[in-house]
Amino acid sequence: MAEETVLERQLLELARQVSWPATPDFSAKVASRLAAPVRVERPWFQQRWALAAAAVLAVVAALLAYNPTREAIADWINVHVLIQRVTTLPSPSPRASGAVGDRLALGRLTTLEEAQRSVKWKITAPSALGTPDLVYILEPPGGPPGTEVTLVYLSVPGVKTAGETGVAVLVTEARGQVDTQFFGKLIGAGTNIEPVTVDGHQGYWISGQPHIVYYRGSDGTLQQETLRLATNTLLLDVDGTLVRIEGNLTKDQALQIAGSLA
Amino acid sequence: MEGRPTDGDLFERAQRGDVAAYEEVVRRYQEVAFRTAYVITGSGADAEDAVQEGFVKAYRALATFRPGAEPRPWLLRIVANEARNRIRSAGRRQRLELRLAEGYRPGDAAPSPEAAAVAAEERRRLLQLVNGLSEEDRLVITSRYFLELSGEETAASLGIPEGTVKSRLSRALTRLRNRVEEAARG
Repeated sequence: MAEETVLERQLLELARQVSWPATPDFSAKVASRLAAPVRVERPWFQQRWALAAAAVLAVVAALLAYNPTREAIADWINVHVLIQRVTTLPSPSPRASGAVGDRLALGRLTTLEEAQRSVKWKITAPSALGTPDLVYILEPPGGPPGTEVTLVYLSVPGVKTAGETGVAVLVTEARGQVDTQFFGKLIGAGTNIEPVTVDGHQGYWISGQPHIVYYRGSDGTLQQETLRLATNTLLLDVDGTLVRIEGNLTKDQALQIAGSLA
Repeated sequence: MEGRPTDGDLFERAQRGDVAAYEEVVRRYQEVAFRTAYVITGSGADAEDAVQEGFVKAYRALATFRPGAEPRPWLLRIVANEARNRIRSAGRRQRLELRLAEGYRPGDAAPSPEAAAVAAEERRRLLQLVNGLSEEDRLVITSRYFLELSGEETAASLGIPEGTVKSRLSRALTRLRNRVEEAARG
């Protein structure tokens, strides 16, 4: 018998003799925490969405009539994105301090050239925004096949810095297998989804109250570190590459940026 | 007669907002969650905070739990993340010293007092050697053998891919075996 097996057996035997501190009963404490209302960070600028409620209602009514299931949305967009409508949003992780990449869990700082060498698809940078200030690449440990590249634009004329990200515009791109649920988006009641088409590419304009972005590992579990709030977002399927343009943008601005992808 | 609800039933009810069902989930998994957090933080107080926060976060993230998935690794991943965050933000980790429970008697033998004393001494020495391993080796051995986590659960609690668990465990066992042999040679 291999000696290692003997050692493993000894360790398992030892397990029954290890002294652990007594486990407290967490059930009541957790239940009382859950009884408190969920608070989602609300930056000041959200208030203007309340003023626009009448216009928003028309869009929501149209969407409710369409009422796509989340699977239908994922199929229709034909890339690895999952959109879930929920009544209560989970609490996002608190926004950490530090560099943009750390705060938003964007991965490793790189250059556009190096990022292009690391991925098989052609990274499409929007010419309307000029050269990105920072480029990040995220190769998630044990995550789904595929890599995420993010172009960060710290300031853009005519675009206010977004409270959720601390930068003007984020352009994130990823490519992977069809049907792989890559990004997830949790949409609360105050967020609107509207189908859009840009240069023949299908996508969604997600606007209104900030929504939750999360990331799933290959085992389907939530990667807690990247649960964060996102501001207005245009999701676009560009020939199998999911392009996510996020910022404190109007729909017209987002469509203009998307139209300049090259 | 109604049987004990399955974890799947409880998760489904909790996803619909049934806090009582989630309380039962907490009761079922709190021991393994607490011990996992204790192994990571090395502190009962930090582990307690991490578990409470982890269970609250897990509830709020229930919408993202994939139906039919195993709840244990999913919960352990969230709790272990909280435990690691606590160490990171505090900038310290207490050195974990596992000890033998007092008065343990193996049930399947009635050895002589001398033999029992020798066996107890061997167990104490092996645990001492495990305690003396590097952080990485100790964590993987403790998770796999003392907490008896599966490969998937160990991966979730250590925040590493499942494939890495196997190689890391194999290297840790080799190093432990070497130390056992060194100690035997005196």
